[in-house]
Amino acid sequence: MRRSLALYGGGLLLLAIGAFPLAWMLSTALKPSGEIFATPPTLVPRVVTLENFQRLFTETNFVTYFTNSVVVSLATVALTLSVSSMGAYGLTRFTFAGRERVAGLILMTYMFAPIMIIIPFYILVKQLGIVNTRLALVLSYTTFCLPFCLWLLRSFFQSIPLELEEAALVDGATLRRAVWHVVLPLALPGLIAAGIFTFILAWNDFLFALVLITSDELKTLPVGVNDLFNATIVDWGMIMAAGVMITIPTIAFFVAVQRYLIQGWGAGGVKG
Amino acid sequence: MKRHPLLGWLLLAPSLLLLGGLVVFPIAYNVWLSLHDKHAFMPVQSFVGLKHYVYFAQDPEFWSSVRYGVIYSGATLVLQLLLGVSAALLLNEGFRGRNLLRGVVLFPYMIPTIVAVILWKWLLNDSYGLVNYLLLETRVVRAPVAWLGKDYIMWSLILTSVWQFFPFVVVTFLARLQTIPPELYEAAKVDGAGTWRRLRHITLPQTRNVLFVIVLLRSIFMFTKFDTVWLMAGEGGVSRYVRTLPVYAYARSFTYLQAGMGAALAVVMFLLLLAATGVYFRAFRDEEAVA
Repeated sequence: MRRSLALYGGGLLLLAIGAFPLAWMLSTALKPSGEIFATPPTLVPRVVTLENFQRLFTETNFVTYFTNSVVVSLATVALTLSVSSMGAYGLTRFTFAGRERVAGLILMTYMFAPIMIIIPFYILVKQLGIVNTRLALVLSYTTFCLPFCLWLLRSFFQSIPLELEEAALVDGATLRRAVWHVVLPLALPGLIAAGIFTFILAWNDFLFALVLITSDELKTLPVGVNDLFNATIVDWGMIMAAGVMITIPTIAFFVAVQRYLIQGWGAGGVKG
Repeated sequence: MKRHPLLGWLLLAPSLLLLGGLVVFPIAYNVWLSLHDKHAFMPVQSFVGLKHYVYFAQDPEFWSSVRYGVIYSGATLVLQLLLGVSAALLLNEGFRGRNLLRGVVLFPYMIPTIVAVILWKWLLNDSYGLVNYLLLETRVVRAPVAWLGKDYIMWSLILTSVWQFFPFVVVTFLARLQTIPPELYEAAKVDGAGTWRRLRHITLPQTRNVLFVIVLLRSIFMFTKFDTVWLMAGEGGVSRYVRTLPVYAYARSFTYLQAGMGAALAVVMFLLLLAATGVYFRAFRDEEAVA
């Protein structure tokens, strides 16, 4: 009895730590301006209004930032998955001298935090003539996701028996069809995990977007919203509405694939 | 079936091109830059040797950024571990709603940094924030506390960061907890070991290796953290009370436009991490040999 009381007490505390700040953000976003500053504060809005969202959509460039973020993140996911699954296939299905060393070197590049190379990176991107383009962002994010995704997919491909695709080839399929219809479907959980990782990294990034993008119409959400925040008087209702809008895609994504994540937690374990 | 090695290289080519061009080359370029005086935008540069390194050795701002960096990463590391490990131990027990809670606990880690920062700035707002309201109501404080002012900005930054990153510890620690054979605990129970002794003699030794990795990764991540720190304090005003090494390197390059100096700071950051990692590995290995 004491034990379960402690468990539920701890559980409630953890729930409060994880979810309460976000609930408070949602609550503020739904309040009219008068109620936001009321004492005592109300957790559940007395009056629910969408005026903060309306102001956000009509009086700021929020919709542009949002579109940019969606375009950049999805393009990054598509590019990263193509490049890394090709690379991982090359690393697992072909034997060539130095293969393991290449894999090791790729992992080493993961050790470098973006902040450590952002200066030469910026100068390089400028010299390539792609500074202030979405392409620059997509290439940056893809590069920084690659080592993780390559290693993840490599381990998935290694666990898929070679005989399966050999059988398809014997049956007359081309290598491309064998990969497309046999290997990739079996590696789907790995592709999904790599896709989530990539999407979240691209959606959340602040540093590259801050350094590489200068014009307002190309800014992604984190930088755009920071600009809104730094305006002379902070419109808390509108800023919290922006916070809610940025959080929704992440949470939706998460709920959609939660099953895979929870499974992943016990991956390799004896317990389910 | 024969597979030509050339096709293997061909499939790897895009990955190697991106990593070589956008990571490996910039690393080398960064070292080269650190030996030059270079404006961040203009194509003018001159070789200055180790001048920047000598300068920083005597630069009080540099040393204060190292100190702030150590305070920030040390404090956030300890608190993340305490909160994360306790949460993981709790989530490893069986109770109703556990799976839901396992998902909810990930939220702070998944939302963008900008959201975590604006959210905590709102909660910690001195006039209208919920934190000050609750502290005043419960009479813990008599007057509103300026959480984002110079005296408390480091505390607020640490609080926000711990909240944002403790789920990483939960996920990795819990993954390992789930692989501990339940028989170990049952045997200990039969032998009359209480909760505390089971924790100390089974859980701790079993999770030693994963804790080693968590501490390593989290220290590196926190020491190189840029966005949370920069967004929390901005560039002017109170930012000098939380100016860690990454923020200082950024300011040198993109505010003062001294790319060479910024590059030198990046090299120093890397060397500091390398040295700390070396010491850490050594200490751990020695301890392992004794145990």
